[in-house]
Amino acid sequence: MAPTLEVRGLVKEYPGVKALKGVDFAVQAGEVHCLLGPNGAGKSTLIKCVSGVVEPTAGEILLDGKPLPVGKPAASLERGVATIYQELDLVEELTVAQSVFLAHEPRRGPFLDLDRMRRDAAALLRRLGHERIDPRKRIGELRPAARQVVSIARALSHDVRLLIMDEPSAVLDDGEIETLFEVVRRLTAEGVAVVYISHRLDEIRRIGDRVTVLTDGRTAATGLPAATPTERLVELMVGRAVEQLYPERARAAATDDAEPLLDVRGLRRMPDVRGISLQVGAGEVVGLGGLVGSGRTELLRLIYGLDRPDDGEVRVRGRRLPPGRPDRAIAAGLGLAPEDRKSQGLLLDWSLAKNVSLSDLARFQRGLLNVRAERAAAREQLRRLQTVPDDPERIVRELSGGNQQKVVLARWLLHHCRVLLLDEPTRGVDVATKAELYRVIADLAAAGVALLVVSSDNGELVGMCDRILVMREGAVVFEVDGAHASERELLRHAVAPTETADLIEEVR
Amino acid sequence: MSLKRLLTVMAVAALLVLGVAACGDDDDSGNGGGSADAAAQTTDDAGTSNSSGGTVSIVASVPPTDHGWLGAISKNAQAAADRYDDVDFRLLEAADADSQAQQIEQVISDRPDAQRAEAAGIPVINVDRLFTAPDAATATILGDNYQIGVLAADYIADRLRCEGNVVEIQGLAGISVTTERTRGFVDQLRKACPDGGIEIVARQPGDFNPDTGLRVMETILQAQDQIDAVYTHDDDMAQGVVQAIRNAGRDDDMFLTGVGGSQDAMDQIREGGLYAATFLYNPNMAASAVNMARLIALGEGLPELVPPEVPRQLVVPAATVTQDNVADYEQYAFN
Amino acid sequence: MSTQSAGDRQAAPPTGEPLTERRLGAFRLQEYALVIVVILLFVAGAILKPDTFPTIDNVRNMLTQASVVGVLAIGMTFVIATAGIDLSVGSALAAAGMFGGILVDPEGSTLLFIAGAIFFATLIGSINAIAIAYGRVVPFIATLAMFSIARGVALLLNDKLPVGLLDLNGGSFGDPAAFSLLWFGTGRIFGIPVSVYVFLGIVIGGWIVLNRTRYGRYVVAVGGNREAARIAGVPVRRTILSVYVLMGVLVGVAAVLLCARLGSASPVSGNLYELDAIGAVVIGGTSLAGGRATIFGTFLGVLTFALIFSLMTQMDLSTEVQQVVKGGIVLGAVLLQRPEAKL
Repeated sequence: MAPTLEVRGLVKEYPGVKALKGVDFAVQAGEVHCLLGPNGAGKSTLIKCVSGVVEPTAGEILLDGKPLPVGKPAASLERGVATIYQELDLVEELTVAQSVFLAHEPRRGPFLDLDRMRRDAAALLRRLGHERIDPRKRIGELRPAARQVVSIARALSHDVRLLIMDEPSAVLDDGEIETLFEVVRRLTAEGVAVVYISHRLDEIRRIGDRVTVLTDGRTAATGLPAATPTERLVELMVGRAVEQLYPERARAAATDDAEPLLDVRGLRRMPDVRGISLQVGAGEVVGLGGLVGSGRTELLRLIYGLDRPDDGEVRVRGRRLPPGRPDRAIAAGLGLAPEDRKSQGLLLDWSLAKNVSLSDLARFQRGLLNVRAERAAAREQLRRLQTVPDDPERIVRELSGGNQQKVVLARWLLHHCRVLLLDEPTRGVDVATKAELYRVIADLAAAGVALLVVSSDNGELVGMCDRILVMREGAVVFEVDGAHASERELLRHAVAPTETADLIEEVR
Repeated sequence: MSLKRLLTVMAVAALLVLGVAACGDDDDSGNGGGSADAAAQTTDDAGTSNSSGGTVSIVASVPPTDHGWLGAISKNAQAAADRYDDVDFRLLEAADADSQAQQIEQVISDRPDAQRAEAAGIPVINVDRLFTAPDAATATILGDNYQIGVLAADYIADRLRCEGNVVEIQGLAGISVTTERTRGFVDQLRKACPDGGIEIVARQPGDFNPDTGLRVMETILQAQDQIDAVYTHDDDMAQGVVQAIRNAGRDDDMFLTGVGGSQDAMDQIREGGLYAATFLYNPNMAASAVNMARLIALGEGLPELVPPEVPRQLVVPAATVTQDNVADYEQYAFN
Repeated sequence: MSTQSAGDRQAAPPTGEPLTERRLGAFRLQEYALVIVVILLFVAGAILKPDTFPTIDNVRNMLTQASVVGVLAIGMTFVIATAGIDLSVGSALAAAGMFGGILVDPEGSTLLFIAGAIFFATLIGSINAIAIAYGRVVPFIATLAMFSIARGVALLLNDKLPVGLLDLNGGSFGDPAAFSLLWFGTGRIFGIPVSVYVFLGIVIGGWIVLNRTRYGRYVVAVGGNREAARIAGVPVRRTILSVYVLMGVLVGVAAVLLCARLGSASPVSGNLYELDAIGAVVIGGTSLAGGRATIFGTFLGVLTFALIFSLMTQMDLSTEVQQVVKGGIVLGAVLLQRPEAKL
């Protein structure tokens, strides 16, 4: 039987850049085919060609054996190719039903058939196992996981033969990921072919049937079984054997006598943070695990001063921080790499230099700003982190997620920050850059910086942290030494007791 | 003439026909097309109109009185009303035609016997144009913009002896008042100087405010080497034009005329020099309007007419004010 | 360490060439486009009115006329850079002039007038600032209300009448005494009008502050991404407050320049100046959405409008034609910038 999707010798050239240099790739009906590769490998370009957004320079794309018209997104959609992008393209103000049927609303004469819209939306959601989502709710009121389901429902509202999903699990926690996989399994049972792009190798193992690895615009390998060992996959992606993901660390010994750099006491802000106390010493990496919504981000925001607490205090090097003053926190040596680096961490249309210097401009001002010194200092920090590109005049928007994260870190390095708060630092970052980031974290710790890291990747926490705290519903419910922690254990404590049994089965 | 006056115009006294209020709209473009009109009803305990013993209630609806001329109108109307014992006078300010219509309807409905007054028919008197439907007003007292243009042309043609360059600084472009003043000017120039000789070398709007007048005149002074006279449509605006000429050091080369009769203009005319003349129609026409309204409300007419009645249209002549006769007109200056 | 290919980018730009801030597409192209427009206008004027347009006298005249709106436009650039707007500047200008005027009526000094005008304008700006930064009122609404209030105040201050300022002269018309009020309007230093010095000084000062000070960086950061700026430690509220106060000060300066030339303070002046200022800023390339600002662009925008006005008035074009032409040129200037420009 002809594969649902077949790509032959696909080439895409831009002036000066060859994004795809001859890609071959096939997906069978009912298959979950994972697409792996470092950033810049051409994954985005490939799926843009398939979905018709971009017109390839050469090669062919066949859907169910018949050629797909190129460069016409509407035609691709009509033939049954639907794409769920990483940045969900949903409008906050519209309702679920409206979003699902956007641009092809059911009509009655010249008017919209609102009833039918709602019913059909509800039916689609039921098909995905999410009948609990109310079609009348606004997108703005939904959590990221639910929004993603709406995106998928929208894809389904066209007759979909091929569903392309770009990093769908990026915004989800473990529980939600499992639900997503449920949805994917239902779809493949119906014969839909799924192309699943992800950086997370463990997910690929769980949901994927076969794997294709792309590097440098070419197919490095295709049709590999999902069970292929991690090292092999990483090797294919990076082009060579990569060293261990997590660097060896001289784990900081617990020093009771030394005063902790960061001392949080009874911090409370209802309903998200319910009285948290923790300490981080110099050179210590403390992880915060837990599900999305457990209050971890809110805790970091409270420590940093973005929100005002109802109760409690934060001390840095023994000195109390005035609440609600991020500028004072920065002056005391705190730094925050926020959860959404694009919308909160960086000014995307600015240069790297300007982003790096923003928190410490006084350093370069003697009367007027010394732009040259600023540029030089920025370049130094960017180089230290091996940012690519490291030209301080480049625009941040152009960089990959991993490198953008490095820019954020560069800002705090420039400022000689003493306590770094990292919120999901490796989200949306490819494997190779992740390794670099882990090294940076280790180096910072070795230099005496105190680090508090929030992460939904339990493996990462286990690999990097001296101590791990697990939060659930606003409180710390578990604490374990990094050397003795296991992902299973972290997950168990993150999840409410009743759900534990089902989830434990799924975790490998 | 004041900005507001030209934009909308007029306080009026009269009785208001409901239907007329609804279609009350003037024909000029731009903002503030409100007409000033007034509702007057006679009421007494019996609630019927009568011409003896009842009080005449006159309401004047005017645009916001943010300019001297309009303020003068209102004062004159009030003063006229005060002279009568049987007149109850109210002044309402409305920003545009719609508000005016609303206010007037409000006034009518305030009156307990509005219905009967309606049935009786309520005439409207308009001051200085306004309603597009000519039948809408019972009577109209007009100042004559066309005539102002004519007087200006006469004055300028006479002084220049039909020989020279003239610059015209209009008010707000596109409204009837402006086009009338220009038309009158151009037509009369042709008549006064049949062999030609006077050329209008520039014509630009000054928007009735002095800083636009300033800017426009500054630029025209750059473009025109030889200017002999400047015909402006408004005294207030002309202050800016005058300053531009002075700043350029060319105040000895030409003379200037305005419209409206502001105190500043009168002072400068009296002193002599650049500011040579202004043309005005008298804010006292408001008093005339109040008088007419009272007459109509009482069912009477002008006794001098045979039979006594209130004429449908009264055109009040405009006057030329120069250094020679400025003393006579100073009492009418608005300030 | 890791392999990099085709640059480590998520979306290869169509040109394949790196985007640096120096070449952020539209931004610079926009400014160059406007330079071309300015040059073209000047050339057109030289052709159409060879005797009276390209003269030193006329250039002086155009620059002088540009000064008032120009000063406003520089302030507006800062406001718009924070993604704000100020619709009240025209009315505030009138009110400031009137306030200064009644202070010196019937007698007073130039210094008193200037101090009074700038003080009053700054007061108005501060009220805007507080409403917006602390009251959380949307800038459009807050300044729209002030647009109305300030105009009312201007009319009330002297019962709707202007205030003559001719005695703050000291010399004669066309040659006023140095540092008298009228000198700021028509006085000259080395042949260049004083108001042009003031205007250019503010342009240069504005450029320096916006591009070479911490404060300027903060202003653009607040407009570019308020949340990210806050996280980076930028004093957001204080920055927003300051741009409206700064605007107020510049309104005061503009009021002085206008009254100096007019020889009086008029309560109906400044009508719709805010639109001219905003227009100049926008066609200059500053984004209404904030985060991207150019003083040089604003300067060019102001020149563009001054050239258009001068040329069309000298040609004695009717108002209707002027409106169409002006609109056409503005549209043309914006379209030239469109390919890379993000609104």
